[in-house]
Amino acid sequence: MRLQLTSLARVLGRSVRGPARSARAAGAAAFALASALGAGPLASTARAQVAEVDTAHTLYHEAPTRTNMTVYTPGVDAAATPADWITVRGGYEADIVSGASVATKAGSAYQSVNPGVDVITTASVKDFRHAPRGGFTLRKGDVAYTASYTYGTENDYKSHSIFVGARTDAYEHNTQFEISYARNFDSVCDRVQAAGDTPPRFRALEDSSGCFTNDPLRRRRPLSIDGLQASWTQAWTPTFATQLVYTAQLIDGFQSNAYRSIIVAQGLKAQEHHPDVRVRQALALRLNWYVRPIKVALRLTGRAYRDTWDVTSGTGELEAERYLVEGLRLAARGRFYRQTGALFWSDDYTGGDPPLGPKGQYFTGDRELSPFWSIGLGARVTYLIHPTPKPEGGTSRLLGIFTNAKLGASVDAIQFSYDEYTLAGVPITNARAYIIGATAGAAF
Amino acid sequence: MEAHSRSTLPLAILAVALAFAAGCVTVKPQQRSVLADPIMQFEGDPQASAQLRHAIDNREGSYGGGGVAGGGCGCN
Repeated sequence: MRLQLTSLARVLGRSVRGPARSARAAGAAAFALASALGAGPLASTARAQVAEVDTAHTLYHEAPTRTNMTVYTPGVDAAATPADWITVRGGYEADIVSGASVATKAGSAYQSVNPGVDVITTASVKDFRHAPRGGFTLRKGDVAYTASYTYGTENDYKSHSIFVGARTDAYEHNTQFEISYARNFDSVCDRVQAAGDTPPRFRALEDSSGCFTNDPLRRRRPLSIDGLQASWTQAWTPTFATQLVYTAQLIDGFQSNAYRSIIVAQGLKAQEHHPDVRVRQALALRLNWYVRPIKVALRLTGRAYRDTWDVTSGTGELEAERYLVEGLRLAARGRFYRQTGALFWSDDYTGGDPPLGPKGQYFTGDRELSPFWSIGLGARVTYLIHPTPKPEGGTSRLLGIFTNAKLGASVDAIQFSYDEYTLAGVPITNARAYIIGATAGAAF
Repeated sequence: MEAHSRSTLPLAILAVALAFAAGCVTVKPQQRSVLADPIMQFEGDPQASAQLRHAIDNREGSYGGGGVAGGGCGCN
């Protein structure tokens, strides 16, 4: 069906111009597709319909201290099921990004030695990403096999992503197992560094001009992502089900933000330098319980995460959803998240008392690698429209065309609180993100 | 690494044991009307859920464990 938000993630990664997030999002894209394939109320009737079309639009905005970012992501997907055993699909998505991100990062220790100097710089960000995609699902009995491909292109990043997955039912359809694998073959634009220079003397990429051309001042940095996901969904009672999801990901290649510089010593700034390899694992447990007396579906999620950069995190989510009238659902949700910083995170590599100071050979200005917590609140409304059945039988259609249709809208606000991250000693305020989404779909 | 293995092994064994125990659970087809309803899907609105999840993923240092479609009714 759709994975339009995968590119939103890519773009949000771009918002800080960081291939690491680009990689993460690209890897996530495949699993988002896996989740969407054969999913949802429209898909549940896929075998009774010939085709469906979905469109989704998302607007993301944040404006913390000295930076801002707005991302608009339109997308459209179409799927056809010419026979029970096969569904083919294709889609296109774009990301339109504008804003300003931190180009040079320093902390409080540097600022205390250089009072009055405004060392922090920002750079405007404007980008346009195109991402066509296609795939198919084959079904035989209780098993479905899916394969897909996504190509992403923008000024400074190219991505080829393949995905394969399988899903089966067991124990009289009370159990579903799903396993999938995704592989990305990506390229990141970087500048050519002076011969003999080492990372503390590397200079950041000024802009994307000349990227992926024969420009002698530009080079391609490879980035590969292997992702594995396995899930077990279980119905325990007529109103209670659980889902266990395990995800592993191996990222190998250039994961730094090519545009960002870090003050690593007095008078010395260098391009951000992250390790090349990162292995990530996450385990999530979801409980879904329909409370009959109040006619509310409650979803509780707990997630634990750990990676080889020593980032650990825990997430708790609670969502409640109920029907207001037939077909119209309203959901409210809350979320709490807490993470530790990466092993090499420091708000200031030039000195100061712990936790400031140098942290080995790597350095970063990425606030997503710093310790912080966040809390989010949101709501979603979904309207699923089915035509009134004909008294004489046969297929009913909305407006004489659609077998069903769906409209959706959502709004979320997330507040971030950073324990250590500062801009030259100035804490980040207004670290609040707003996400507005709208979706529409119809089946023929 | 060894400590990490020690801590995850019991969890893995527990998960496998529960998976086999799930075979003892029987929710009959005629009892699955609630589980089959869109409101009981783990990804109630897959598009919207994917959008939100990935937006959040890109403001955090972690990734993975996202929801998988289906409500446990075996009807998707």
